[in-house]
Amino acid sequence: MDAEAAKYIGAGIACLGMGGAGIGLGNIFGSYLAGALRNPSAADGQFGRLIFGFAVTEALGIFSLLIALLALFG
Amino acid sequence: MAADKVDPIHQFHIVKLIPINIGGYDLSFTNSALFMVATVAVASAFLYLTTASRSLVPGRLQSVSEMAYEFVSNMLRDSAGTQGLKFFPFVFSLFMFVLVANLLGLFPYFFTVTSHIIVTFGLAALVIGTVVVYGFGKHGLGFLKLFVPHGVPVFLLPLVVLIEVISFVSRPVSLSVRLFANMLAGHITLKVFSGFVVSLSALGAVGIAGSVLPLAMAVALTALELLVAFLQAYVFAVLTCMYLNDALHPGH
Amino acid sequence: MADTNGPDGTGETGRGRQREADIRDDDLERRRRDLEASLATRRPDRLEGKDDAKAVTGYGQALKLSSEFIAGIVVGVAIGWIIDRLAGISPWGLIVGLLLGFGAGVLNVLRSAGLVAQFGQGGTPRDPEE
Repeated sequence: MDAEAAKYIGAGIACLGMGGAGIGLGNIFGSYLAGALRNPSAADGQFGRLIFGFAVTEALGIFSLLIALLALFG
Repeated sequence: MAADKVDPIHQFHIVKLIPINIGGYDLSFTNSALFMVATVAVASAFLYLTTASRSLVPGRLQSVSEMAYEFVSNMLRDSAGTQGLKFFPFVFSLFMFVLVANLLGLFPYFFTVTSHIIVTFGLAALVIGTVVVYGFGKHGLGFLKLFVPHGVPVFLLPLVVLIEVISFVSRPVSLSVRLFANMLAGHITLKVFSGFVVSLSALGAVGIAGSVLPLAMAVALTALELLVAFLQAYVFAVLTCMYLNDALHPGH
Repeated sequence: MADTNGPDGTGETGRGRQREADIRDDDLERRRRDLEASLATRRPDRLEGKDDAKAVTGYGQALKLSSEFIAGIVVGVAIGWIIDRLAGISPWGLIVGLLLGFGAGVLNVLRSAGLVAQFGQGGTPRDPEE
């Protein structure tokens, strides 16, 4: 196989990891919304933690993006 | 032929109307340039003609002009304070340019100036350039305090400053990409649905009956695009005001 | 509105008798402030268009936040990649740039959600994952 082609395939496979981050983000926002609908008065106070969870989850997705970028440009 | 008509990207092609070539640079007068000139002409003509009578009790068109004026000046006063009003001509011109360019783009067969990232990025770079030049001119090196938040431990400072700098540089990018992506996506969607109408109605009587659905969708989307055109001009102007506020009052 | 003309000491408020010296600077200043105050009471209810704009835009809000986040990452990667190119330290510039860009993206999101102070205005805008 051509090394160039393997590079692109590797980058594509690495991006699969972002799908996991996508599932996690959906889970976080879905749970937040479910909780917020049960107790709307507490929703605003938890917005900071929502963003915190978003950041931590997204960080893992970013790592796979990093691997993909390294495979492409590194 | 049919495929040619349905191509949703075709509306964004740049066509050279008057080829000009100076010193190896391509400075041709394109359809994009034509519509920029048209935008400026329409905006200035509208403002000039509607306010020419200067009646104390404004007529309909004059109140539209006055509403636009009031709208921008309130926005600027709210986010940048009274000092910000010296930037009023700048912000008002930007707002009117983006608004009129977006609205002109809604006409069939018209070119949408703001659907090209280089145009929106040019506008955003102008805003950030103004902020940086004015900030350094007014505050000197004190402007750099913008990047140093208070109450950060010393050992974290280099990291925080780096992140703040990147955050600052990302502003023109997000400003321009937002406007560009909204206009591009809206116009492509509109074109795709209109394309459905054409290709369905080629299928005969059943197709023509079925094409009512995408036609209704296209009408609804046009209304949505009208809203988006205004909203994006508003967002662009609001963010400009906020960035100018940073230039006026860094670090307190 | 005789009092807005200011007392001229004669007890007369007629326009004809008013001399130029009577329109003093502080008088003008006071009238300007009055005007400003009365304008200020009218201003808030002219801003309703803004609320309308806010109400429509759950979608716009989401688009704004995600574009802020992505812009941070894109700029971080671009800066890292340029440093790589200039200094020849590939891949480290890209790695550090991406992580810093991620931090800046989260900061952008927090800032436009109003959870962190604006640029240079107090507070500790450290992002959680540091």
